[in-house]
Amino acid sequence: MRLEDVRLRYRRGGPWVLRGVTARLDPGEVAVVLGRNGAGKSTLLQLCAGVLRPVRGRVVDRPHRVGWVPERFPADQPFTVTRYLTAMGRAAGLGRADADRAVDRWTDRLGLAPFRTVRMPDLSKGTAQKVGLAQAMLRTPGLLVLDEPWEGLDAAARGLVPELVDEVLTAGGAVLVSDHRGETVRLPGARHWTVADGLLTDEPATGDAAVAVVEVAVPAARVAGTVARLRADGHQILRVREPAVPPTRAAAPPAPVPPAGAGPTGDPTRDGRAGEVAW
Amino acid sequence: MSALVRMRLAGFLRTGRALAPLLAGLLALGILYGGGRARPAEAYGVSAVVLFPVLAWQTRILLDVEPDVQRRLAQVLVGPVRERLAGLLAAVLAGVGTVLVALVFPWLVGGVAAPGPGDPSAVAALALGLWAHLLALLPAVALGALASRALTRSAGYGVAVLAVGAVGTLALGLRGSVAPWLVPPVLATARALAGSLPAGTALLLSAWALAWAGVALAGYARWRRVRP
Repeated sequence: MRLEDVRLRYRRGGPWVLRGVTARLDPGEVAVVLGRNGAGKSTLLQLCAGVLRPVRGRVVDRPHRVGWVPERFPADQPFTVTRYLTAMGRAAGLGRADADRAVDRWTDRLGLAPFRTVRMPDLSKGTAQKVGLAQAMLRTPGLLVLDEPWEGLDAAARGLVPELVDEVLTAGGAVLVSDHRGETVRLPGARHWTVADGLLTDEPATGDAAVAVVEVAVPAARVAGTVARLRADGHQILRVREPAVPPTRAAAPPAPVPPAGAGPTGDPTRDGRAGEVAW
Repeated sequence: MSALVRMRLAGFLRTGRALAPLLAGLLALGILYGGGRARPAEAYGVSAVVLFPVLAWQTRILLDVEPDVQRRLAQVLVGPVRERLAGLLAAVLAGVGTVLVALVFPWLVGGVAAPGPGDPSAVAALALGLWAHLLALLPAVALGALASRALTRSAGYGVAVLAVGAVGTLALGLRGSVAPWLVPPVLATARALAGSLPAGTALLLSAWALAWAGVALAGYARWRRVRP
Protein backbone atom coordinates (compact mmCIF):
# COMPACT_ATOMS: atom_id res chain seq x y z
CA MET A 1 0.00 0.00 0.00
CA ARG A 2 1.27 3.49 -0.80
CA LEU A 3 0.30 6.94 0.36
CA GLU A 4 1.11 9.53 -2.29
CA ASP A 5 1.36 13.12 -1.09
CA VAL A 6 -1.74 12.67 1.05
CA ARG A 7 -3.28 15.80 2.54
CA LEU A 8 -6.25 15.88 4.82
CA ARG A 9 -8.22 18.43 6.75
CA TYR A 10 -11.57 17.91 8.36
CA ARG A 11 -13.28 20.99 6.98
CA ARG A 12 -12.76 23.46 4.22
CA GLY A 13 -10.54 26.25 5.41
CA GLY A 14 -9.54 24.30 8.51
CA PRO A 15 -5.99 23.44 9.48
CA TRP A 16 -4.30 20.62 7.58
CA VAL A 17 -4.01 17.58 9.85
CA LEU A 18 -1.77 15.82 7.33
CA ARG A 19 0.03 17.91 4.74
CA GLY A 20 1.80 15.85 2.16
CA VAL A 21 2.36 12.40 3.59
CA THR A 22 4.15 9.91 1.36
CA ALA A 23 4.81 6.42 2.65
CA ARG A 24 4.78 2.83 1.62
CA LEU A 25 3.99 -0.39 3.44
CA ASP A 26 4.69 -3.67 1.72
CA PRO A 27 3.12 -7.05 2.39
CA GLY A 28 4.80 -8.72 5.35
CA GLU A 29 5.78 -5.39 6.88
CA VAL A 30 4.64 -3.86 10.13
CA ALA A 31 4.83 -0.15 10.90
CA VAL A 32 4.30 1.49 14.25
CA VAL A 33 2.79 4.96 14.07
CA LEU A 34 4.23 7.22 16.74
CA GLY A 35 3.47 10.77 17.68
CA ARG A 36 2.20 12.91 20.49
CA ASN A 37 -1.50 13.29 21.27
CA GLY A 38 -3.38 15.03 18.50
CA ALA A 39 -0.54 14.67 16.00
CA GLY A 40 -2.82 12.87 13.57
CA LYS A 41 -2.04 9.22 14.29
CA SER A 42 -5.68 8.12 14.28
CA THR A 43 -6.35 10.23 11.22
CA LEU A 44 -3.48 8.56 9.39
CA LEU A 45 -4.68 5.11 10.43
CA GLN A 46 -8.23 5.84 9.30
CA LEU A 47 -6.89 7.04 5.96
CA CYS A 48 -4.96 3.81 5.55
CA ALA A 49 -7.96 1.73 6.60
CA GLY A 50 -10.18 3.51 4.07
CA VAL A 51 -12.45 5.21 6.57
CA LEU A 52 -11.32 8.69 5.58
CA ARG A 53 -10.60 9.91 2.06
CA PRO A 54 -7.66 12.19 1.43
CA VAL A 55 -8.61 15.71 0.42
CA ARG A 56 -5.61 15.72 -1.91
CA GLY A 57 -3.22 12.98 -2.91
CA ARG A 58 -4.20 9.34 -2.95
CA VAL A 59 -3.89 5.97 -1.29
CA VAL A 60 -3.10 3.24 -3.79
CA ASP A 61 -2.84 -0.54 -3.69
CA ARG A 62 -4.75 -0.87 -0.46
CA PRO A 63 -5.40 -4.59 0.11
CA HIS A 64 -8.96 -5.65 -0.53
CA ARG A 65 -9.51 -7.04 2.94
CA VAL A 66 -8.84 -4.52 5.66
CA GLY A 67 -9.31 -5.14 9.37
CA TRP A 68 -9.61 -1.97 11.45
CA VAL A 69 -9.56 -1.96 15.23
CA PRO A 70 -10.69 1.49 16.36
CA GLU A 71 -9.24 3.16 19.40
CA ARG A 72 -12.53 2.85 21.26
CA PHE A 73 -14.68 -0.08 20.30
CA PRO A 74 -18.36 0.96 20.00
CA ALA A 75 -19.85 -1.45 22.52
CA ASP A 76 -23.17 0.38 22.77
CA GLN A 77 -25.01 -1.98 20.44
CA PRO A 78 -28.00 -4.22 21.10
CA PHE A 79 -26.28 -7.51 20.33
CA THR A 80 -24.56 -10.27 22.23
CA VAL A 81 -20.90 -10.87 21.45
CA THR A 82 -21.66 -13.96 19.36
CA ARG A 83 -24.47 -12.31 17.45
CA TYR A 84 -22.41 -9.22 16.73
CA LEU A 85 -19.35 -11.13 15.55
CA THR A 86 -21.43 -13.49 13.43
CA ALA A 87 -23.20 -10.56 11.80
CA MET A 88 -19.87 -8.84 11.12
CA GLY A 89 -18.44 -12.05 9.67
CA ARG A 90 -21.45 -12.44 7.40
CA ALA A 91 -21.25 -8.80 6.36
CA ALA A 92 -17.58 -9.37 5.55
CA GLY A 93 -18.68 -11.99 3.06
CA LEU A 94 -18.20 -15.22 5.01
CA GLY A 95 -20.77 -17.96 4.55
CA ARG A 96 -22.87 -18.99 7.52
CA ALA A 97 -20.72 -21.99 8.44
CA ASP A 98 -17.46 -20.11 7.86
CA ALA A 99 -18.66 -17.19 9.96
CA ASP A 100 -19.61 -19.55 12.82
CA ARG A 101 -16.22 -21.25 12.62
CA ALA A 102 -14.36 -17.95 12.57
CA VAL A 103 -16.34 -16.69 15.56
CA ASP A 104 -15.64 -19.89 17.50
CA ARG A 105 -11.95 -19.68 16.69
CA TRP A 106 -11.45 -16.04 17.61
CA THR A 107 -13.61 -16.00 20.71
CA ASP A 108 -11.54 -18.94 21.98
CA ARG A 109 -8.20 -17.40 21.09
CA LEU A 110 -8.99 -14.03 22.58
CA GLY A 111 -10.49 -15.46 25.76
CA LEU A 112 -13.99 -14.24 24.88
CA ALA A 113 -15.64 -17.64 25.26
CA PRO A 114 -17.19 -16.85 28.69
CA PHE A 115 -18.68 -13.63 27.30
CA ARG A 116 -20.27 -14.97 24.16
CA THR A 117 -23.83 -14.58 25.39
CA VAL A 118 -23.19 -11.29 27.18
CA ARG A 119 -24.77 -8.20 25.67
CA MET A 120 -22.09 -5.86 24.41
CA PRO A 121 -23.03 -2.80 26.52
CA ASP A 122 -22.39 -4.94 29.62
CA LEU A 123 -18.79 -5.74 28.65
CA SER A 124 -15.81 -4.21 30.40
CA LYS A 125 -13.64 -1.90 28.32
CA GLY A 126 -10.88 -4.47 27.85
CA THR A 127 -13.31 -7.21 26.85
CA ALA A 128 -15.02 -4.90 24.39
CA GLN A 129 -11.59 -4.10 22.94
CA LYS A 130 -11.08 -7.83 22.38
CA VAL A 131 -14.37 -7.97 20.46
CA GLY A 132 -12.91 -5.18 18.35
CA LEU A 133 -9.81 -7.30 17.70
CA ALA A 134 -11.93 -10.34 16.90
CA GLN A 135 -14.10 -8.56 14.31
CA ALA A 136 -10.98 -7.40 12.46
CA MET A 137 -9.53 -10.92 12.34
CA LEU A 138 -12.63 -12.91 11.31
CA ARG A 139 -11.31 -13.08 7.76
CA THR A 140 -7.53 -12.79 7.69
CA PRO A 141 -6.92 -9.20 6.61
CA GLY A 142 -4.44 -8.15 3.97
CA LEU A 143 -4.01 -4.97 6.00
CA LEU A 144 -4.59 -4.88 9.73
CA VAL A 145 -4.89 -1.41 11.24
CA LEU A 146 -4.69 -1.31 15.02
CA ASP A 147 -5.36 1.98 16.79
CA GLU A 148 -3.83 1.81 20.28
CA PRO A 149 -4.60 -1.91 20.56
CA TRP A 150 -3.04 -2.25 24.00
CA GLU A 151 -5.35 0.29 25.54
CA GLY A 152 -7.54 -1.28 28.21
CA LEU A 153 -6.08 -4.77 27.82
CA ASP A 154 -4.72 -6.53 30.89
CA ALA A 155 -1.17 -7.86 31.08
CA ALA A 156 -2.18 -11.34 29.91
CA ALA A 157 -4.07 -10.01 26.91
CA ARG A 158 -1.29 -7.66 25.79
CA GLY A 159 0.71 -10.58 24.50
CA LEU A 160 -2.15 -11.39 22.14
CA VAL A 161 -1.56 -8.37 19.95
CA PRO A 162 1.89 -9.44 18.67
CA GLU A 163 0.40 -12.90 18.03
CA LEU A 164 -2.29 -11.42 15.82
CA VAL A 165 0.29 -9.24 14.08
CA ASP A 166 2.48 -12.27 13.42
CA GLU A 167 -0.46 -14.17 12.05
CA VAL A 168 -1.32 -11.45 9.57
CA LEU A 169 2.33 -11.05 8.51
CA THR A 170 2.71 -14.78 8.05
CA ALA A 171 -0.31 -14.79 5.77
CA GLY A 172 1.37 -12.11 3.65
CA GLY A 173 -0.49 -9.14 5.09
CA ALA A 174 0.75 -5.80 6.35
CA VAL A 175 0.10 -4.26 9.76
CA LEU A 176 -0.13 -0.68 11.01
CA VAL A 177 -0.16 -0.06 14.75
CA SER A 178 -0.36 3.17 16.67
CA ASP A 179 1.10 3.38 20.10
CA HIS A 180 1.82 6.14 22.54
CA ARG A 181 2.68 4.06 25.57
CA GLY A 182 5.89 2.42 24.51
CA GLU A 183 4.42 -1.03 24.00
CA THR A 184 6.14 -1.00 20.65
CA VAL A 185 8.99 -3.06 22.06
CA ARG A 186 6.62 -5.98 21.71
CA LEU A 187 6.90 -5.63 17.92
CA PRO A 188 10.56 -6.05 17.06
CA GLY A 189 11.36 -5.45 13.44
CA ALA A 190 8.67 -2.83 12.93
CA ARG A 191 9.22 0.29 10.85
CA HIS A 192 8.62 3.50 12.76
CA TRP A 193 6.31 6.09 11.25
CA THR A 194 6.54 9.25 13.27
CA VAL A 195 3.81 11.82 12.70
CA ALA A 196 4.59 15.42 13.63
CA ASP A 197 3.35 18.73 12.25
CA GLY A 198 1.28 16.92 9.65
CA LEU A 199 4.30 15.19 8.15
CA LEU A 200 5.49 11.62 8.43
CA THR A 201 9.02 10.38 9.02
CA ASP A 202 9.60 6.78 8.03
CA GLU A 203 12.45 4.93 9.75
CA PRO A 204 13.16 1.37 8.73
CA ALA A 205 13.27 -1.38 11.29
CA THR A 206 16.15 -0.89 13.70
CA GLY A 207 18.81 -3.57 13.47
CA ASP A 208 19.14 -4.15 17.19
CA ALA A 209 15.58 -5.34 17.51
CA ALA A 210 15.80 -8.94 16.37
CA VAL A 211 18.58 -10.72 14.66
CA ALA A 212 18.42 -14.15 13.17
CA VAL A 213 21.49 -16.11 12.25
CA VAL A 214 21.60 -18.11 9.06
CA GLU A 215 24.35 -20.61 8.44
CA VAL A 216 25.33 -20.75 4.80
CA ALA A 217 27.59 -23.26 3.11
CA VAL A 218 29.50 -22.07 0.02
CA PRO A 219 32.36 -23.64 -1.95
CA ALA A 220 35.67 -22.68 -0.35
CA ALA A 221 36.84 -20.93 -3.50
CA ARG A 222 33.95 -18.46 -3.35
CA VAL A 223 34.21 -17.52 0.33
CA ALA A 224 35.83 -14.16 -0.19
CA GLY A 225 33.39 -13.08 -2.85
CA THR A 226 30.35 -14.22 -0.91
CA VAL A 227 31.47 -12.49 2.27
CA ALA A 228 32.07 -9.28 0.34
CA ARG A 229 28.66 -9.48 -1.31
CA LEU A 230 26.85 -10.21 1.97
CA ARG A 231 28.59 -7.27 3.64
CA ALA A 232 27.64 -5.08 0.71
CA ASP A 233 24.02 -6.11 1.20
CA GLY A 234 24.19 -4.83 4.76
CA HIS A 235 24.46 -8.20 6.47
CA GLN A 236 26.78 -8.72 9.38
CA ILE A 237 29.33 -11.52 9.05
CA LEU A 238 29.84 -13.04 12.49
CA ARG A 239 32.43 -15.66 11.68
CA VAL A 240 33.89 -17.66 8.82
CA ARG A 241 34.54 -21.26 9.77
CA GLU A 242 37.01 -23.36 7.77
CA PRO A 243 35.68 -26.89 7.59
CA ALA A 244 38.07 -29.52 8.98
CA VAL A 245 36.29 -32.13 6.90
CA PRO A 246 34.59 -31.07 3.68
CA PRO A 247 30.84 -31.48 4.25
CA THR A 248 29.44 -34.36 2.30
CA ARG A 249 25.89 -34.20 1.11
CA ALA A 250 25.07 -37.64 2.44
CA ALA A 251 26.47 -37.20 5.95
CA ALA A 252 25.01 -33.99 7.33
CA PRO A 253 23.29 -31.89 4.77
CA PRO A 254 22.64 -28.48 6.27
CA ALA A 255 19.64 -26.96 4.59
CA PRO A 256 21.29 -24.75 1.99
CA VAL A 257 20.15 -21.17 2.13
CA PRO A 258 20.86 -18.93 -0.82
CA PRO A 259 23.26 -16.18 0.20
CA ALA A 260 20.90 -13.44 -0.93
CA GLY A 261 18.44 -14.46 1.77
CA ALA A 262 21.00 -14.50 4.54
CA GLY A 263 21.05 -11.81 7.13
CA PRO A 264 18.92 -10.29 9.83
CA THR A 265 15.60 -10.82 8.09
CA GLY A 266 14.75 -14.36 9.14
CA ASP A 267 12.69 -15.62 12.04
CA PRO A 268 12.30 -12.62 14.32
CA THR A 269 11.59 -14.71 17.38
CA ARG A 270 15.00 -16.31 17.41
CA ASP A 271 17.70 -14.83 19.52
CA GLY A 272 20.90 -14.08 17.69
CA ARG A 273 23.53 -14.47 20.37
CA ALA A 274 24.82 -17.91 19.50
CA GLY A 275 25.06 -17.46 15.77
CA GLU A 276 27.83 -18.02 13.32
CA VAL A 277 28.32 -18.31 9.63
CA ALA A 278 29.70 -21.65 8.45
CA TRP A 279 31.30 -22.46 5.16
CA MET B 1 -24.63 -6.54 1.83
CA SER B 2 -27.82 -8.32 2.89
CA ALA B 3 -26.06 -9.31 6.12
CA LEU B 4 -25.42 -5.65 6.88
CA VAL B 5 -29.04 -4.76 6.04
CA ARG B 6 -30.24 -7.45 8.45
CA MET B 7 -27.82 -6.27 11.12
CA ARG B 8 -29.07 -2.69 10.87
CA LEU B 9 -32.73 -3.69 10.87
CA ALA B 10 -32.07 -5.88 13.91
CA GLY B 11 -30.35 -2.99 15.68
CA PHE B 12 -33.30 -0.72 14.89
CA LEU B 13 -35.91 -3.18 16.09
CA ARG B 14 -34.03 -4.39 19.17
CA THR B 15 -33.40 -1.00 20.73
CA GLY B 16 -37.11 -0.22 20.86
CA ARG B 17 -36.46 3.02 19.04
CA ALA B 18 -38.66 1.69 16.26
CA LEU B 19 -41.63 2.16 18.59
CA ALA B 20 -41.76 5.96 18.62
CA PRO B 21 -42.28 6.50 14.89
CA LEU B 22 -44.63 3.52 14.70
CA LEU B 23 -46.81 4.95 17.50
CA ALA B 24 -46.72 8.39 15.88
CA GLY B 25 -47.79 6.83 12.59
CA LEU B 26 -50.63 4.91 14.22
CA LEU B 27 -51.76 8.05 16.04
CA ALA B 28 -51.82 10.03 12.80
CA LEU B 29 -53.74 7.27 11.05
CA GLY B 30 -56.16 7.02 13.99
CA ILE B 31 -56.94 10.73 13.75
CA LEU B 32 -57.17 10.52 9.96
CA TYR B 33 -59.65 7.65 9.92
CA GLY B 34 -61.49 8.58 13.13
CA GLY B 35 -63.78 11.07 11.45
CA GLY B 36 -65.92 8.64 9.50
CA ARG B 37 -65.81 6.50 6.39
CA ALA B 38 -63.88 7.79 3.39
CA ARG B 39 -63.37 6.64 -0.19
CA PRO B 40 -60.36 4.26 -0.01
CA ALA B 41 -58.15 5.70 -2.80
CA GLU B 42 -58.65 9.28 -1.66
CA ALA B 43 -58.01 8.31 1.98
CA TYR B 44 -54.77 6.57 1.04
CA GLY B 45 -53.54 9.74 -0.66
CA VAL B 46 -54.03 11.71 2.56
CA SER B 47 -52.52 8.86 4.60
CA ALA B 48 -49.35 9.07 2.48
CA VAL B 49 -49.18 12.80 3.19
CA VAL B 50 -49.40 12.42 6.96
CA LEU B 51 -46.94 9.50 6.93
CA PHE B 52 -44.31 11.38 4.90
CA PRO B 53 -42.72 13.09 7.94
CA VAL B 54 -43.12 9.91 10.00
CA LEU B 55 -41.25 7.85 7.39
CA ALA B 56 -38.48 10.44 7.18
CA TRP B 57 -38.17 10.49 10.96
CA GLN B 58 -38.13 6.69 11.08
CA THR B 59 -35.32 6.62 8.51
CA ARG B 60 -33.26 9.06 10.52
CA ILE B 61 -33.73 6.99 13.68
CA LEU B 62 -32.78 3.78 11.89
CA LEU B 63 -29.60 5.30 10.45
CA ASP B 64 -28.69 6.87 13.78
CA VAL B 65 -29.13 3.77 15.95
CA GLU B 66 -25.66 2.56 14.99
CA PRO B 67 -22.76 4.28 16.77
CA ASP B 68 -20.58 6.40 14.46
CA VAL B 69 -17.57 4.13 14.85
CA GLN B 70 -19.64 1.05 14.03
CA ARG B 71 -20.80 2.74 10.84
CA ARG B 72 -17.15 3.28 9.93
CA LEU B 73 -16.33 -0.34 10.77
CA ALA B 74 -19.08 -1.42 8.40
CA GLN B 75 -17.59 0.83 5.73
CA VAL B 76 -14.16 -0.77 6.15
CA LEU B 77 -15.80 -4.18 5.92
CA VAL B 78 -17.96 -3.75 2.81
CA GLY B 79 -16.72 -0.52 1.21
CA PRO B 80 -18.37 2.89 1.17
CA VAL B 81 -20.90 2.29 -1.61
CA ARG B 82 -22.39 -0.84 -0.12
CA GLU B 83 -22.32 0.67 3.36
CA ARG B 84 -24.54 3.57 2.17
CA LEU B 85 -26.79 1.25 0.16
CA ALA B 86 -27.24 -1.13 3.09
CA GLY B 87 -28.42 1.73 5.32
CA LEU B 88 -30.84 3.06 2.71
CA LEU B 89 -32.15 -0.41 1.91
CA ALA B 90 -32.76 -1.13 5.60
CA ALA B 91 -34.63 2.17 5.84
CA VAL B 92 -36.76 1.32 2.79
CA LEU B 93 -37.60 -2.12 4.22
CA ALA B 94 -38.58 -0.62 7.57
CA GLY B 95 -40.63 1.99 5.69
CA VAL B 96 -42.40 -0.72 3.68
CA GLY B 97 -43.40 -2.27 7.01
CA THR B 98 -44.97 1.00 8.12
CA VAL B 99 -46.65 1.42 4.72
CA LEU B 100 -48.21 -2.04 4.96
CA VAL B 101 -49.61 -1.14 8.37
CA ALA B 102 -51.02 2.05 6.87
CA LEU B 103 -52.65 0.11 4.03
CA VAL B 104 -54.33 -2.40 6.29
CA PHE B 105 -55.20 0.00 9.10
CA PRO B 106 -58.34 1.66 7.64
CA TRP B 107 -59.93 -1.70 6.83
CA LEU B 108 -59.38 -2.88 10.40
CA VAL B 109 -60.92 0.18 12.05
CA GLY B 110 -63.66 0.65 9.50
CA GLY B 111 -62.22 3.92 8.26
CA VAL B 112 -63.09 3.36 4.63
CA ALA B 113 -66.38 2.73 2.90
CA ALA B 114 -66.95 -0.15 0.53
CA PRO B 115 -66.35 1.12 -3.03
CA GLY B 116 -69.48 2.57 -4.56
CA PRO B 117 -70.44 2.57 -8.24
CA GLY B 118 -67.79 4.31 -10.31
CA ASP B 119 -65.11 3.92 -7.62
CA PRO B 120 -62.08 1.66 -8.08
CA SER B 121 -62.52 -1.77 -6.58
CA ALA B 122 -61.03 -2.54 -3.16
CA VAL B 123 -58.05 -4.26 -4.80
CA ALA B 124 -57.49 -1.36 -7.19
CA ALA B 125 -57.76 1.06 -4.26
CA LEU B 126 -55.14 -0.95 -2.36
CA ALA B 127 -52.83 -0.87 -5.38
CA LEU B 128 -53.30 2.90 -5.72
CA GLY B 129 -52.67 3.24 -1.99
CA LEU B 130 -49.44 1.24 -2.23
CA TRP B 131 -48.33 3.40 -5.16
CA ALA B 132 -49.08 6.64 -3.28
CA HIS B 133 -47.24 5.45 -0.17
CA LEU B 134 -44.19 4.27 -2.09
CA LEU B 135 -44.11 7.66 -3.82
CA ALA B 136 -43.94 9.21 -0.35
CA LEU B 137 -41.55 6.59 1.03
CA LEU B 138 -38.61 7.07 -1.34
CA PRO B 139 -38.36 10.86 -0.90
CA ALA B 140 -38.95 10.37 2.85
CA VAL B 141 -36.00 7.96 3.05
CA ALA B 142 -33.86 10.47 1.17
CA LEU B 143 -34.92 13.29 3.50
CA GLY B 144 -34.27 11.10 6.57
CA ALA B 145 -30.84 10.21 5.22
CA LEU B 146 -29.99 13.89 4.76
CA ALA B 147 -31.05 14.46 8.38
CA SER B 148 -29.00 11.54 9.73
CA ARG B 149 -26.26 12.10 12.28
CA ALA B 150 -23.52 11.11 9.85
CA LEU B 151 -24.25 14.33 7.96
CA THR B 152 -25.78 16.71 10.49
CA ARG B 153 -23.57 15.60 13.42
CA SER B 154 -25.99 16.99 15.99
CA ALA B 155 -29.53 16.13 17.00
CA GLY B 156 -30.57 19.78 16.65
CA TYR B 157 -29.50 20.11 13.02
CA GLY B 158 -31.05 16.73 12.27
CA VAL B 159 -34.43 17.81 13.59
CA ALA B 160 -34.11 21.10 11.72
CA VAL B 161 -33.49 19.30 8.41
CA LEU B 162 -36.48 17.02 9.03
CA ALA B 163 -38.75 19.91 10.00
CA VAL B 164 -37.75 22.12 7.09
CA GLY B 165 -38.14 19.17 4.71
CA ALA B 166 -41.55 18.14 6.01
CA VAL B 167 -43.01 21.65 6.35
CA GLY B 168 -41.53 22.67 3.00
CA THR B 169 -43.07 19.64 1.33
CA LEU B 170 -46.48 20.63 2.63
CA ALA B 171 -46.13 24.38 2.09
CA LEU B 172 -44.67 24.21 -1.41
CA GLY B 173 -46.90 21.30 -2.35
CA LEU B 174 -50.11 23.31 -2.03
CA ARG B 175 -52.15 24.14 -5.10
CA GLY B 176 -50.78 27.31 -6.70
CA SER B 177 -47.35 26.92 -5.11
CA VAL B 178 -44.59 29.08 -6.59
CA ALA B 179 -42.06 26.24 -6.73
CA PRO B 180 -43.76 22.85 -6.50
CA TRP B 181 -40.80 21.16 -8.16
CA LEU B 182 -38.57 21.89 -5.19
CA VAL B 183 -40.38 19.31 -3.07
CA PRO B 184 -41.56 15.73 -3.57
CA PRO B 185 -45.07 15.42 -5.02
CA VAL B 186 -46.74 14.10 -1.89
CA LEU B 187 -49.64 16.58 -1.87
CA ALA B 188 -49.94 16.48 -5.66
CA THR B 189 -50.36 12.70 -5.44
CA ALA B 190 -53.06 13.07 -2.81
CA ARG B 191 -54.91 15.58 -5.01
CA ALA B 192 -54.62 13.30 -8.00
CA LEU B 193 -56.09 10.39 -6.03
CA ALA B 194 -59.08 12.50 -5.03
CA GLY B 195 -60.21 12.62 -8.63
CA SER B 196 -59.82 10.25 -11.50
CA LEU B 197 -56.19 9.47 -12.10
CA PRO B 198 -55.08 9.59 -15.75
CA ALA B 199 -52.13 7.36 -16.60
CA GLY B 200 -50.09 10.32 -17.78
CA THR B 201 -50.45 12.05 -14.43
CA ALA B 202 -49.52 8.86 -12.60
CA LEU B 203 -46.36 8.51 -14.67
CA LEU B 204 -45.45 12.15 -14.21
CA LEU B 205 -45.92 11.93 -10.43
CA SER B 206 -43.84 8.72 -10.28
CA ALA B 207 -41.03 10.25 -12.29
CA TRP B 208 -41.16 13.42 -10.17
CA ALA B 209 -40.92 11.49 -6.89
CA LEU B 210 -38.12 9.28 -8.19
CA ALA B 211 -36.19 12.22 -9.55
CA TRP B 212 -36.51 14.15 -6.28
CA ALA B 213 -35.38 11.11 -4.26
CA GLY B 214 -32.55 10.53 -6.73
CA VAL B 215 -31.24 14.06 -6.46
CA ALA B 216 -31.51 14.05 -2.66
CA LEU B 217 -29.77 10.67 -2.40
CA ALA B 218 -27.01 11.78 -4.76
CA GLY B 219 -26.46 14.71 -2.43
CA TYR B 220 -26.41 12.33 0.51
CA ALA B 221 -23.84 10.05 -1.16
CA ARG B 222 -21.68 12.98 -2.15
CA TRP B 223 -21.74 14.57 1.29
CA ARG B 224 -21.01 11.24 2.96
CA ARG B 225 -17.67 11.12 1.13
CA VAL B 226 -16.34 13.77 3.49
CA ARG B 227 -18.44 12.63 6.45
CA PRO B 228 -17.95 8.86 6.73
